[in-house]
Formats: sequence, C-alpha cells, structure tokens
Amino acid sequence: MKLKHWMLLTTVVACGVAQAQAPAGPGFNPGDYTGVWRMMGGTIFDRSTAEPANAAAGQPGARERPPYNAEWEKKYLARIELVKQDKLPDPISNCGTPIGFPRIFNAPDGYEFVVTPKQTWILTENGPNTLRIYTDGRKHLPDDFIWPTYTGDSVGSWQGDTLTFTTIGLRGEDGTIVDRTGIILSDAAHATTQIRKPTADAIEVKLTIEDPKAFVRPWVVTKRFTRIPGGDEIRIMDYACAENNRNPVDADGKTLTLDTNGKVIDAGRSRP
Amino acid sequence: MKTTHVQSLVAGLVACAVLLVLAAGPVYAHHSGAMFDRNKPMVLEGVVKAFQWTNPHSWLQVEVSDGKGGTKEWSVECGSPNTLARTGWRKTTFNAGDKVKVRIGPMIDGTAAGIFVGAQLANGETLGEMK
Repeated sequence: MKLKHWMLLTTVVACGVAQAQAPAGPGFNPGDYTGVWRMMGGTIFDRSTAEPANAAAGQPGARERPPYNAEWEKKYLARIELVKQDKLPDPISNCGTPIGFPRIFNAPDGYEFVVTPKQTWILTENGPNTLRIYTDGRKHLPDDFIWPTYTGDSVGSWQGDTLTFTTIGLRGEDGTIVDRTGIILSDAAHATTQIRKPTADAIEVKLTIEDPKAFVRPWVVTKRFTRIPGGDEIRIMDYACAENNRNPVDADGKTLTLDTNGKVIDAGRSRP
Repeated sequence: MKTTHVQSLVAGLVACAVLLVLAAGPVYAHHSGAMFDRNKPMVLEGVVKAFQWTNPHSWLQVEVSDGKGGTKEWSVECGSPNTLARTGWRKTTFNAGDKVKVRIGPMIDGTAAGIFVGAQLANGETLGEMK
C-alpha cells in the first residue's frame, strides 16, 4: 500500500472513531451518579396528588389525579375497586415481566444510574429491571420495526448537566401499569423525561407524559432519589422475585399466602 | 460518643420499621398489600420457629400457643434482605428458639399471617413499632 493511501485510510478510520465516541448534544457534564440510590416518597407514583396524602400503594381506596378523560377515569375507578378486592392484575407479581416505563422510576430498593456519553442505564435492584437510554445520536426505531414493550424505546441527549430523552413504544392498557393504585396508560402514551442532579446526593427525574387516548392534558410528575449513605457494603444485591415467592396469584387475581412448605394457608383457596 | 453496634442496629431497625409503616414501599413491591389490615394491629407472643432471609420477602415463622396445650404457626412477612440489611437487619436478627413478641398487621381473612410492624427481641430490645 502506498504511503498516501495508508495516510488516507488512517485518517478515515480516525475520523470514524472520533465520530463514534463523540457524545450527542451540546454538552455532557452529568456530575457524579456513582453509588446506590433509593426513591423517595414510597411507591405512589404522583405523591403530589395522592389521596389520602400519606397513602400507600395498594391501600384500598387510595388514588391520585392523573389527567384522565371521562372514559379513562371510569377505567381507573374500576381498577381502584379491584384493589379493594385484592384483585388488581399486576404482571410483576408473577415474577418475570419487567416493571416497565414509567414505573421503573417508582420501584423500591436500590437503584444505580450508569451514565456514559453514549448510553445511560438505570438499573433497579427490585425486579431487577433496566432502562437503556441511547444518547449517541440515534433516532427512535421506525414505525415498521418497533413493537410495543413494557419498557419502550428511549433516546435522548445531554445538555450540560441535564439528560433529556423521549420514550415511545409502550404496551398500553395490558402492560403499562404505573402503580398499585391502578393507574394505567394507553398504547398511545409517550413521554419526555429530564434527569439532573440538583445537589450532590440528589437525583431529580421530571416526567412529562402525554397520552392522547387517556389524558386531557400532559401529566407532569417529578420523582426524587437520594444516595444511600454508607461504606463499601452498600451495593446492589440479588432481588430474585421467584427465589421464595410465597405470594403467588390465583386465577381470580387474588394474592395468596403459602406456608414454608408451599401449602396455601388462605382459607378456601388453593394453589394456582 | 461512640455508637455501639447494638445502638446502630436498633436505630436502623426503628428507621426501617417507620419506613415500612409510613411508606410501605419495600413491603408492597412485589404484591398488593390489600390483604393486610393495618388499622387493627395485633401482637403475637411466641417462639421463633424459623427466619427466612429470602427474596422477594423475608419471613418470620412464630409458634404461638393456641390455649389448648398446642401451638399455631404464624407467618410474618417482612421486606427484602437488600433493604432490610441497609437499615440494620441481619440474617441473625431472629434465630430459631428465640422468645419474641411481634406486632403485625394481620390478614383480613383471618389467615394466621400478617405484615411485620415491630418486635420485642429475646434480649429485650424493641425494634419497629410495638405501641
């Protein structure tokens, strides 16, 4: 190979590498996301509208105020009734389906935020679950390729200390469950999310969820996370939902309780 | 003042129990909590049969006198080991044979089971909410 050809090839390869490594967006200054984090406020998705204010997810009668239209408010009320009967269908109770988006920002136990210029991964210990956000300049999957999933497809970019990304491709009514008060989204739902660190030990996630089928206006919810203090013993461990699952769900959607030998101890119930 | 391990443990347990009672997030992560009556807590007094330090929930098995010369086994649901460990619990917090008092939110249908609220350990230490 002649020298000028070699130099040309080297230049092309070098440019290609530089292009591939360049972070998307006008800046990448995320701050320190290392460590293990936990969500604040319990697993009510929108604590600011919780009724009662100190409601726990799964508490009979508890609700929030997502901006549902009349049709979807009626669906929500029906699901609140199912909560009262302990029969709210929730895929994650069966140990095996992802918690999905946006509920991945509503999980208990530990979190890790793995931030790199080209991708950010949000890892929940509970589940476990992963949300991958591509920030390398790629676009959303095209309509003829994407299919509905629990977690959807997320792409975005960094502007200084703020990651902004959009999420599409959600399952909708049969799989996009937001929390155990019974909130669901339609298959038309999509979101714009901003993540930043207002202080050294805090992460703020602002979600703007739009749902043309279910909402009369965008639903803006802010979730907050705090770094779990401690030494190097603080780390993510197995969650393993199926390890000793003594609460299977029967055909009626009722959560059962098993004894240490796997026998159902609920009166009048049998194992599914 | 130097904080002892026991003080740290008790503080952690109390903090955890408060978190469980108020936020209820870790406990209700995996399934609904509608089966428990948190407004009518009860206290079990008995002997630990086993402590399962497992996911998705840890379980405390307590044998309680049935008043007829026998015992009845109760299943007490706790949080996941991950979250409990970060707040001071250890796999040895309860041991088979320990005499304990355990405050629970019982199951509404009368099943001999409930959600952990607090406990008085064999050494007299109290963790969680016993009042």
